[in-house]
Amino acid sequence: MMKYITAASAGFVLLAVSSGSAWADAAAGKGAFDAKGCGECHYTDGPAKEKTIEDQLAKKGPELWYAGSKFQKDWLSAWLIDPKPIRPLKFNSLTEDNPADHPKLAGDEAASVTDFLMSLTSDAVEAGKVKPKKNPKGRQIFTKKMPCSGCHQYVGRKKKLTGGRSGPSLVEAGVRLNPDWILAYMLKPEVFKPVKMMPVFTGLLSDKDMLNVSRYVANFKPKK
Amino acid sequence: MKKILNLAAFAALASHFAVAPAAAADTIQVFKFYCAQCHGLEGKGDGPNVTKDFPVSPRNFTDAKEMDKLSDADIKNVILDGGPAMSKSPMMPPWGKTLTAEQVDGLIMHLRQLCNCKGKQG
Repeated sequence: MMKYITAASAGFVLLAVSSGSAWADAAAGKGAFDAKGCGECHYTDGPAKEKTIEDQLAKKGPELWYAGSKFQKDWLSAWLIDPKPIRPLKFNSLTEDNPADHPKLAGDEAASVTDFLMSLTSDAVEAGKVKPKKNPKGRQIFTKKMPCSGCHQYVGRKKKLTGGRSGPSLVEAGVRLNPDWILAYMLKPEVFKPVKMMPVFTGLLSDKDMLNVSRYVANFKPKK
Repeated sequence: MKKILNLAAFAALASHFAVAPAAAADTIQVFKFYCAQCHGLEGKGDGPNVTKDFPVSPRNFTDAKEMDKLSDADIKNVILDGGPAMSKSPMMPPWGKTLTAEQVDGLIMHLRQLCNCKGKQG
């Protein structure tokens, strides 16, 4: 009996240490985030603050208060070390190309900032809803019925880069985005981006169709 | 007394004209934020999404001849329900769940200014 209690205690201590370590990393990441001045372009305290077009245009970069629900951790830590443009155009611009000048972080800073950002989550994202897979119905909606491709780049047939430039590129979106966030964003855009250039599709596409589109987009992976 | 009435009338007139430019500025902002992605900042159908792969040519709102074929109601239908509402391309998405009724009315007026045309009547 004593052995079981000792084993259980050891398990509890291990859990406490590992959870304490995660908190410590997130706290260190918050320190690095602040020290690097990331908050000058990105806000991290939700809920969404934008109420008008002016509010949106006043922002210098995307909001990050739900980053932990939106991004995949491995992608985020790698991107912070070697950031590449996601939107082909400069943030909030329709005329200037993305200058590709996002600051780079060193490996250890990137790891702790990643821990901080991944600690920022939204209850509006339900886990386990979207399984990435080839989805003809989602593809039909994405490319024809409600053409997301008009504003978002993606890799189409014959590995051809195609699509519009005003929205974030969705090339390899399945590596960057949490599949469940894609669905949550379509279902409840007002939670994440109350003022955005993308149309609201709630009430126009069924929940099932949004799930199909989410599965399709979440399956955008590097072509082999 | 007459002077006071004149002043009141002037104030009412001034406030009317003070509101109108603000509403026009709001409409231009709405146009630039949502519509210019495809239709261009000046409405010439040359927004940044119109790459060589773009499957259709977005409407050039400065083309009076083409714009005159559309009534205000036609334009409203397309804005609210997308291109298919007028047998046009789905590349024009439905904005009915995004824009307010006032924003849509403002956009119709703005398009009429861009084309300098009244459109099909009745």
